[in-house]
Amino acid sequence: MKGIDLKTQETTGHEARGAPLNPGRRRALRALAVGAAGAWLLGRGALLGESGGRAVWERLDAARERLDGARPEPGAIRLDLPGVTQDGSAVPLTVDIEHPMSEEDYVEALYLYALGNPTPEIADVYFGPLAGRARLSTRIRLNQSQTVLALARTSGGRWLAGHRDVRVTVSGCLSQDGTYDFDSLMRTRIRVPPRLRSGEVGDVRTLIDHPMETGLREDRQGRTIPERIIKEFRAEFEGTPVVRVRLYRAISANPYLRFPVAPDTSGELAFHWHDDQGESATEAARIEIG
Amino acid sequence: MSNDGKSFIMPGTSITRRQALKRMGLFGFGGLAAASGLPVYAARPPAARVAVVGGGFGGATAAKYLKMLRPDLDVTLVEPARRYYTCPFTNLYLGGLRDFESLGHDYRELGETFGVRVVHERAEDVDVDGRRLKLSGGGELSWDRLVLSPGIDIRWGALEGYDEAAAEKAPHAWKAGPQTHLLRRQLEAMEDGGTFVLVAPENPFRCPPGPYERVSMIAHYLKTHKPRSKVLLLDAKDNFSKQGLFMEGWAEHYGDMIEWVGLSDDGRVIRVDADRLEVETEFGTIHRASLLNVVPPQKAGVIAHRAGVTDDSGWVPVEPETFQSRKVPGVYVIGDATQAAPMPKSGFVANNQGKVAAAAILADLDGREAPRPTWMNTCYSVIAPDWGITVANVYEVTDGELREVPGSGGVSPSGANAEFRRNEARFAEAWYAGITQDVWGSRPTG
Ligand SMILES: Cc1cc2nc3c(=O)[nH]c(=O)nc-3n(C[C@H](O)[C@H](O)[C@H](O)COP(=O)(O)OP(=O)(O)OC[C@H]3O[C@@H](n4cnc5c(N)ncnc54)[C@H](O)[C@@H]3O)c2cc1C
Repeated sequence: MKGIDLKTQETTGHEARGAPLNPGRRRALRALAVGAAGAWLLGRGALLGESGGRAVWERLDAARERLDGARPEPGAIRLDLPGVTQDGSAVPLTVDIEHPMSEEDYVEALYLYALGNPTPEIADVYFGPLAGRARLSTRIRLNQSQTVLALARTSGGRWLAGHRDVRVTVSGCLSQDGTYDFDSLMRTRIRVPPRLRSGEVGDVRTLIDHPMETGLREDRQGRTIPERIIKEFRAEFEGTPVVRVRLYRAISANPYLRFPVAPDTSGELAFHWHDDQGESATEAARIEIG
Repeated sequence: MSNDGKSFIMPGTSITRRQALKRMGLFGFGGLAAASGLPVYAARPPAARVAVVGGGFGGATAAKYLKMLRPDLDVTLVEPARRYYTCPFTNLYLGGLRDFESLGHDYRELGETFGVRVVHERAEDVDVDGRRLKLSGGGELSWDRLVLSPGIDIRWGALEGYDEAAAEKAPHAWKAGPQTHLLRRQLEAMEDGGTFVLVAPENPFRCPPGPYERVSMIAHYLKTHKPRSKVLLLDAKDNFSKQGLFMEGWAEHYGDMIEWVGLSDDGRVIRVDADRLEVETEFGTIHRASLLNVVPPQKAGVIAHRAGVTDDSGWVPVEPETFQSRKVPGVYVIGDATQAAPMPKSGFVANNQGKVAAAAILADLDGREAPRPTWMNTCYSVIAPDWGITVANVYEVTDGELREVPGSGGVSPSGANAEFRRNEARFAEAWYAGITQDVWGSRPTG
């Protein structure tokens, strides 16, 4: 139903530039913009239609380049995505990889692709063994029904692959305009377990306010709104990388990242976000072991 | 069972069955017009048996239209309640705009006028191979075709802390009945100056605009009786149905009494403590309520799971043209239980789907191809007395998928004047009178 609400979204956009607003409304307006900012211009049609018997990764140039001749093994990567989604601007995605995370053998990289988006990259994710588990949750933009592909490389050089089909019933394609309330730009939220037992895998959630402007939308005058995205996110425990993410424009507005951490000593978990205009944000929280 | 499969003639018209069915689907309760010209049939083999589970918007419609289109069909409706109360307009009841009894409907017309056999029992289990239903009274019911329209059930425990016991303290009121009364009693008992907290779920769920109409009507009640109170809506989504129009209406009628917190502002609730009337959000904020109304995660009614027609989403995938189960042939599923996006889970659409399934079942029994359906939906929401808003759409099957017909609908305009909004509120009342007459034969009282 989102697509047809646009008339009202635009009207609200006008208002947002006018009279002062109470905080409740402000939030609401900003969230309206989140929906609109999730919009894509129609891409040059589907990248690929039918599978034609080929493995999913064979259908994507970027994936073949990444693999550089290697053949990934199926089975270990689980993608959790709704089979049908009514909102292509923020589709919840969880990737969970069944593989050890020891110093000797761990999942060091995970590459995510949306085969039917105008540009297929979603995120490149680099794990350290401190993550304890190769798992990541986020929210992504899908501009039509399509396949989401995950490729992972282990520290031993093995490649893994997994994919999942998603039906998008109302895509974000129709929007031409939207406002984003920049007041809270780069405001962060984190949730870190204050206490863990040694060896326990804790659950970390982060969110940063950012439009993740795709560079594929036009404003009301038909001018392209320039791309503006959070490019990089890092989480480090006492200086040791837990997870590092290269984000692309397919990550939804207000990027949400959830991942594990499994330290064996007490210490500080630090977070860094960088956008492509030089803005950055940091956060930190202590985890006690025992 | 089969017959010649030719179109029949409606007295006085030359309309084909195909056109007639299509119109019924398209015009919703306007299909009543067809009742005045019942079809004429040639002799046929023994009647096929169709069992319909659930006498709500979808099931009661399917049962009626099956009999209306083919009076010699053997149709049994299984529904435990003797009187069905609609979820539509329960929000108006909560707000004090509507008497609860006016939302009740019975099955007399289905039985007496249309000859549907109505069995007031629960369907406990489905044997899809033996084509039998097991009923709560201990009996069994054989069928040649089965229609399931069981609505939703709650996914107890899917939201941490929200189980059946918790719902007695923090009601959902997402099924009309005792839960609705409980919420109303709590509202009456709430202190002036308290905070009403509503927790709204992720998609998909029953009635996309429902939580927003709910808080509108609650705010109306509070503004009238407890004006120092607040309404806080914690949402697992960043955008919702008719958002702009709701926001506009809230500002107009309730100032800043209603505060909406979306997903990106930490609106997603991950734990409920019904004893303390507290909820915890994803990033650790604790909100304390005077009255806590949780719209929890949902799934297709349990009987659909027993029948094996659901998939791992908890909902039922169906063939879009017929609403026949993708997993079990001969079983048709309609209403909220289905995966029919982009159609919403609404009573309006369930009624349309009931007609489409009825037509498809008759075609199937005749060995004909099912007519090509069109569906329509209008969701009215009442924000304040004499203040309504609307979203409407038409749907059809394109390239094997359910789609909105481009340009077929939309939301009513923002910034419309009071008279426009009053008319929309009247349309809502008229819609309610019309659809409950179509489904249950009810006549508006008073
Ligand atoms: C607050 C609220 C407001 C709403 N407002 C609107 C509105 O304004 N407009 C609108 O179009 N929609 C509205 N809806 C949505 C509407 O109520 C549903 O979409 C509609 O009821 C779906 O119809 P259904 O036939 O799928 O299920 P239901 O109408 O729920 O019917 C299911 C029936 O099946 C029976 N049943 C279940 N299991 C069994 C079994 N095992 N054996 C026998 N019987 C069984 C139940 O007793 C029930 O009577 C609203 C919903 C809510 C919660």
